[in-house]
Amino acid sequence: MSNTARFVRSLFLLELFKGLSVTLRHMLFVRKVTLQYPEEKAPISPRFRGLHALRRYPNGEERCIACKLCEVVCPALAITIESEQRADGTRRTTRYDIDLTKCIFCGYCEESCPVDSIVETHIYEYHGEQRGDLMMTKEKLLAVGDKYEAQIAAARSQDARYR
Amino acid sequence: MTDLLNIEINGVRLQVKPGTMVIEAADDAGFVIPRFCYHKKLSIAANCRMCLVDVEKAAKPVPACATPVTEGMKVYTKSVKAIEAQKSVMEFLLINHPLDCPICDQGGECELQDIAMGFGKDASRFRETKRVVREKYLGPLISTDMTRCIHCTRCVRFGREIAGVMELGAPGRGEHMAIETYMESAVGSELSGNVIDLCPVGALTSKPYRYTGRPWENTAATAISPHDCVGSNLKVEVRRNQVMRVLPHENEAINEVWLADRDRYSYTGLHTADRLQQPMIKQGETWREVDWETALTYASEGMRRVIASHGAAQLGALSNPNATLEEFYLLQKLVRGLGSHNIDHRLRQLDFSDQAHAPVYPHLGQSIAALEELQAGLLIGAYPRKDQPLINHRLRKAAKRGAKISAVNTIDYDVNFTLTNTVVTHPFDMPLHLAAIAKVLAEQTGKTPPAAVQTLLAAAKVEELHRQIATQLTQAERSTVLIGTQALAQPNLAVLRNLANVIADLSNSSLGYLPEGANAAGAWLAGAVPHRTTAGRTVPAAGKSALQMLDTSCKALVLWNVEPEYDCADPATAMTALQAAEFVVALTPFVTDTMRGYADVILPISPFAETSGTFVNVEGRWQSFTASVKSLAESRPGWKVLRVLGNFFKLDGFEYLSSEEVRSEIDTLTVGIIPQTRSEVQAPSNTPQRPSLLRIGHVPIYAVDNLVRRAQPLQQSNDALQAMVAMNAHTADKLGVRHATQVRVSQAGQSVTLPLYIEASVADDCAVIPAGVVGSERLGTGYGSIDVKAV
Amino acid sequence: MPEIRNYTLNFGPQHPAAHGVLRLVLEMDGEVIQRADPHIGLLHRATEKLAESKPYNQTIPYMDRLDYVSMMVNEHGYVLALERMLGITPPLRAQYIRVMFDEITRVLNHLMWLGTHALDVGAMTVFLYCFREREDLMDMYEAVSGARMHAAYYRPGGVYRDLPEHMPQYGHTRYRGESGTQRMNANRSGSLLDYIDDFTQRFPGYVDEYETLLTDNRIWKQRTVGIGVVTPERAKQLGFTGPMLRGSGIAWDLRKKQPYEVYDKMSFNIPLGTNGDCYDRYLVRVEEMRQSNHIIRQCIEWLRANPGPVMLEDHKLSPPRREEMKGDMEALIHHFKLFTEGYTLPAGEVYAAVEHPKGEFGVYLVSDGANKPYRLKIRPPGFPHLAAMHEMSNGHMLADVVAIIGTMDIVFGEIDR
Repeated sequence: MSNTARFVRSLFLLELFKGLSVTLRHMLFVRKVTLQYPEEKAPISPRFRGLHALRRYPNGEERCIACKLCEVVCPALAITIESEQRADGTRRTTRYDIDLTKCIFCGYCEESCPVDSIVETHIYEYHGEQRGDLMMTKEKLLAVGDKYEAQIAAARSQDARYR
Repeated sequence: MTDLLNIEINGVRLQVKPGTMVIEAADDAGFVIPRFCYHKKLSIAANCRMCLVDVEKAAKPVPACATPVTEGMKVYTKSVKAIEAQKSVMEFLLINHPLDCPICDQGGECELQDIAMGFGKDASRFRETKRVVREKYLGPLISTDMTRCIHCTRCVRFGREIAGVMELGAPGRGEHMAIETYMESAVGSELSGNVIDLCPVGALTSKPYRYTGRPWENTAATAISPHDCVGSNLKVEVRRNQVMRVLPHENEAINEVWLADRDRYSYTGLHTADRLQQPMIKQGETWREVDWETALTYASEGMRRVIASHGAAQLGALSNPNATLEEFYLLQKLVRGLGSHNIDHRLRQLDFSDQAHAPVYPHLGQSIAALEELQAGLLIGAYPRKDQPLINHRLRKAAKRGAKISAVNTIDYDVNFTLTNTVVTHPFDMPLHLAAIAKVLAEQTGKTPPAAVQTLLAAAKVEELHRQIATQLTQAERSTVLIGTQALAQPNLAVLRNLANVIADLSNSSLGYLPEGANAAGAWLAGAVPHRTTAGRTVPAAGKSALQMLDTSCKALVLWNVEPEYDCADPATAMTALQAAEFVVALTPFVTDTMRGYADVILPISPFAETSGTFVNVEGRWQSFTASVKSLAESRPGWKVLRVLGNFFKLDGFEYLSSEEVRSEIDTLTVGIIPQTRSEVQAPSNTPQRPSLLRIGHVPIYAVDNLVRRAQPLQQSNDALQAMVAMNAHTADKLGVRHATQVRVSQAGQSVTLPLYIEASVADDCAVIPAGVVGSERLGTGYGSIDVKAV
Repeated sequence: MPEIRNYTLNFGPQHPAAHGVLRLVLEMDGEVIQRADPHIGLLHRATEKLAESKPYNQTIPYMDRLDYVSMMVNEHGYVLALERMLGITPPLRAQYIRVMFDEITRVLNHLMWLGTHALDVGAMTVFLYCFREREDLMDMYEAVSGARMHAAYYRPGGVYRDLPEHMPQYGHTRYRGESGTQRMNANRSGSLLDYIDDFTQRFPGYVDEYETLLTDNRIWKQRTVGIGVVTPERAKQLGFTGPMLRGSGIAWDLRKKQPYEVYDKMSFNIPLGTNGDCYDRYLVRVEEMRQSNHIIRQCIEWLRANPGPVMLEDHKLSPPRREEMKGDMEALIHHFKLFTEGYTLPAGEVYAAVEHPKGEFGVYLVSDGANKPYRLKIRPPGFPHLAAMHEMSNGHMLADVVAIIGTMDIVFGEIDR
């Protein structure tokens, strides 16, 4: 580039105007990429790892058999399980807590579960007003599972052939 | 020494003794060979085929557990042939194994899983239906999932070779083979829990532990069993400050790899509804939960008051024989510091007449391991099978090797090995039989028995039986005379002890004791006896024994972990004495209504697994342990309570900061003590009157202490006896109750109605009414006159 | 006369330009830096120590959280170390997936760097544009792993799951209408590969836009040219790697020099700077984005043509498929043992390094034969860079410190570990 050309570009702020033209084009001609959250939401992959849930079998029996694989595989030690023999002789949990403040949402609990009981759902909008609210108990987890079973089952079946 | 054989395993040259199996040589050299049926303590079955190895010049792989080494043998455990063979065996083992891992308690500590991971294929080719095996009921201790069984037959061999009962067998062959109890009844062995450890899969698991935990969650702390004088080493598995289960900790010298059910399951009694969580004091007629400060102030003031008004001789302390060495020491230090010698742990003993001549502490007279080397033995008033199961195990080993063991008992006990000769006799006739044996011995050896027993010997009638027993003892190179737990509780202990001494002397046998509780030896060493202080030093004026304290009603009593209605020789007298006492301090982990009735202060002390301390076992081995879990709520380790109580009394020398400090103080005091079981032979001073019907107050295996009595699974097992009356038909005829099912039993002004069983095993003119169980807690002395009438 | 003393200034740890929790203690002579002393450790989480107490696979999610803008590449370094120790090679398809996602991650990282660097220096718009593109890239992350950032996707022996055949789509809302939704879903109608392909076609245009905004911009050049100059010799002595080293003109890139996975089959160039200043490093990174885009395209092409396994079929290391696990005894046992105890590594030690967007990310692993590492040491690329803070900023103005922090591409997750 000749010195003259450089001088002209410099004097008339050409490179700045070129840059401004990009922003102007975006302002006037390019569609906005903004989503109107919460009315509009980004699509969620069936593999998404959100809030946990405990599932039940179609007959209403809880799936969890207290094998404790999720408890031992949890890298963050967020899961606490206590179990006993239920009156009907089956192995069941008496306590199933997930401390969401510890959880790192790695999905290992779901990978380890031999009966597809503990799953990570598509729910990412939840909050707790107190610290204890983020301690998911067995009842809370089962409630999440009951409420979103259709969605959970659909996502699992979509992804089944990859796992 | 025999010549060693040269062999080669995986190219490493080794020298091994002839007769060694390949698997043993490999284990010693550190080569891993997978196995299921092989176990170092059991015979070789070679039926799992998992340990197949490749031996040079052998056409097919051979089982390492059943192939003895030969000179020049070359073994390959990792060759293609061996690996292929192992993989195939594993595949066969897994075809019928159910997909139970997630619900199986063995998961994570399962040999099948481990070996499948290490030596098996990673995918199955079996697509057919798996077999299912019917469940068996094996009692309240062992739960079964027989479909998981891989037929290693370890449990069958355990029953046959170790427990000495034909409990489990494997009828059927091939697909139909199944492990079953022949009687399909609850497993009756006192060692039955060991099959859980032996079972390589999840077919036999612990019932109380069922579905509650996973091995990786637990941390194991070592501990010592608090129930018998063996001092079995335990692994107490703890999760989140809770005892989850108890397993054996291998110690070849003591419990080998085994554990008695009592030691294994007593932890289930730790958390019962009646666990005391807070110190309590009685104000008027109401009980109030208070803090330690208040409770200890109240306790010390109450004791001071009694001492001030009645003198220190009115203060007494009774302790359970399962307290730790430190607790015994501090308790006697406290009582003696307050000016009294009234302290005792021999709650069930009735005869104290020759206590001055008793050895420094009750010792086995040999090491536990040495018992299995015996060639002959004489058991006097002993039932080690239920009282000290692992001592019995050693004796059984000796008997299986040909040792001639005989017994002089009051009941023909169900012993699981062959006794060469058994004398079943009335407790008060036992001296006659012993004297007869001594008489034969004197004749055989030509030695002169001590003058003190001459009259006894002269009166003895010698029978063939006595001759045989005497001959066995003299002919054996290693022989022993053991005074059992029952004999120690008999009212004629002194004469039995004297005669046992004579027999041991004449036959050149060792003499041993099998005392009650986990730490009787520690109690004697620490000085928890009225006539001797620490390290067996005689006190100028002996205090009152356990019996005397209750007979003469001490005005202030300290109860250390004692439930008198179950733990004392004479519950009726004990209860009267406690009601009459002015001030009773009960230190206990468990509070009962009876206790609320007589006590003034109840202080919660930590039971087994929650306290640190030392037990001295019957061979004199000091075994210290730490607390496995924290003490529950406000309960505190006993040594701490005593230490602070000492401070409340402003006594010197109660400044310990740890139980180790207490131990090292006792250590210095007891330096140089040599356990000596022989004592000087005395002329017997007391001969109890022979009543028309004598009670035999035998303590059943699961009634020995307050923890075991609360362990529900043990209480549901066959060995947990209910209160009942057992006598032989002859005695029943005499009393006219031959066909009664219920009888009215009267003793010490109390009477209860109990079921009657006719048992041929009981001696004439005796009635067995177990002590320490519900139903007999109001009766009198364990060996006293009793009245039985048909209802 | 009053004594003239240097003024000590605390920069951070709450300063927005400190990129996280950097605390700089600056000794100033007026506006001029006399000494810059970086304080670290505010984000220390003991990752290395934590790894010693967990089976190998449980540490993978923690790797994501080291440099939390280059998640999968961190995982790659760790997984590579495990694989070298185990002596295994993942299936070819897994290697291609890893290379593709490494490059996606590089773009993700550089976009983050570019946006924040420009923002620090004063250009707001670039930040918005960069984050717009990052959104697409994070959708790729989510589609393949289920998490937009902390993927836990690479596993020893391959990757957890194959690329999905379908992309999730936008639902209808009253804001868009049918045609609007269709338009937004246009590039989501096919597989993940189609979606990535669509992005790679658009992306060079986006990079042009950033360059239009910055490369010739006089303010940008005034703020970056001649700032933080590092000579090639010093760069080597200081242990620089990655764009920091290449910006000084040294052609060192592990993808070329010690190729791992299938980088030796890829055609791409290594951009080099000449002056070793912030501006050259900017140019290098921008060109790296273009090169990454090129590599991604090559991977897409291969992956489309070659379906196959993405994980070793050795269940002594990788859990069996869920379907098998539910019906097959061997598979169940292996599933159970792998999730409880994991696998063991032979005793020994290994160092594995990958070309991380920020430089050389290395994992040194010592095994004693157990199922968890005896020791794990992470060589973070950012640490030596930050250590040169004083040397690079000494004599510059206070405002240049921000540019220098930016050019270093500091992320505290990896420096503090």
